Amino acid sequence: MKQAANPSDVVLELEEGLYSLDAIYGTAYVFIDRCYVLLDRSGPGRISVRLRPKAETSATAEDLMGEFENELLGQAWRRLLVEENRKLVETVTTHALAGAAGPPGLDDLLDMDIDDQAAFDDPLGIAVSWEDKYKKRDKASVDAGDDPSQATPPKSGGGEGSSE
Amino acid sequence: MIELRFASELYPPAAVRDAAVAYADFAQCEIEERDGATWVRVSASGDADESMLAAELANYALGLSIDRRRAHD
Repeated sequence: MKQAANPSDVVLELEEGLYSLDAIYGTAYVFIDRCYVLLDRSGPGRISVRLRPKAETSATAEDLMGEFENELLGQAWRRLLVEENRKLVETVTTHALAGAAGPPGLDDLLDMDIDDQAAFDDPLGIAVSWEDKYKKRDKASVDAGDDPSQATPPKSGGGEGSSE
Repeated sequence: MIELRFASELYPPAAVRDAAVAYADFAQCEIEERDGATWVRVSASGDADESMLAAELANYALGLSIDRRRAHD
């Protein structure tokens, strides 16, 4: 005797193109405490979900079906967000874990290959003074179309506006 | 006796077998794999509601299937 369809069962037909298997699994997992959930392949790209309320739940099969559909949307949306932000999350997590490891110890420093040339590299520009970093260029250089952030300050002691 | 069909792509056969083992104290289960699915024939031991037992086994198999998938991700 096969598992007969119960009159209280409801069946949803889901398109895999709209709801990934992970979303369907995630949704089913949420509902297995309140109803019996049976998944099956109903055709190419289609998955059927049979829901049967448990005896102890007060919700009807139709209620559960509606809740299932809503939860399925939420699961699908969350998974889409995870996929879109996966790289960012991995990067942030990697940096956080690397930071939590603390500064390099003596053994780590001794293992580093630092020669005379590399010892004075300054890739972050830390050794550059603020004035040199943000010096302004004079107006002539700006009009010529050069990078304005590189303008040099005007010389004092002469020209218009001088108090002397 | 109730026969359940678990599509192998949705329910890994190992998960179904584990579920059957977990319910061994409550039901006798005959397992067969064919046609891309795992078929389980459930016969309740004692006075248990066979339909409910089969449904609970199916839920348990689903839970194990989901856990396995997450473990592999």
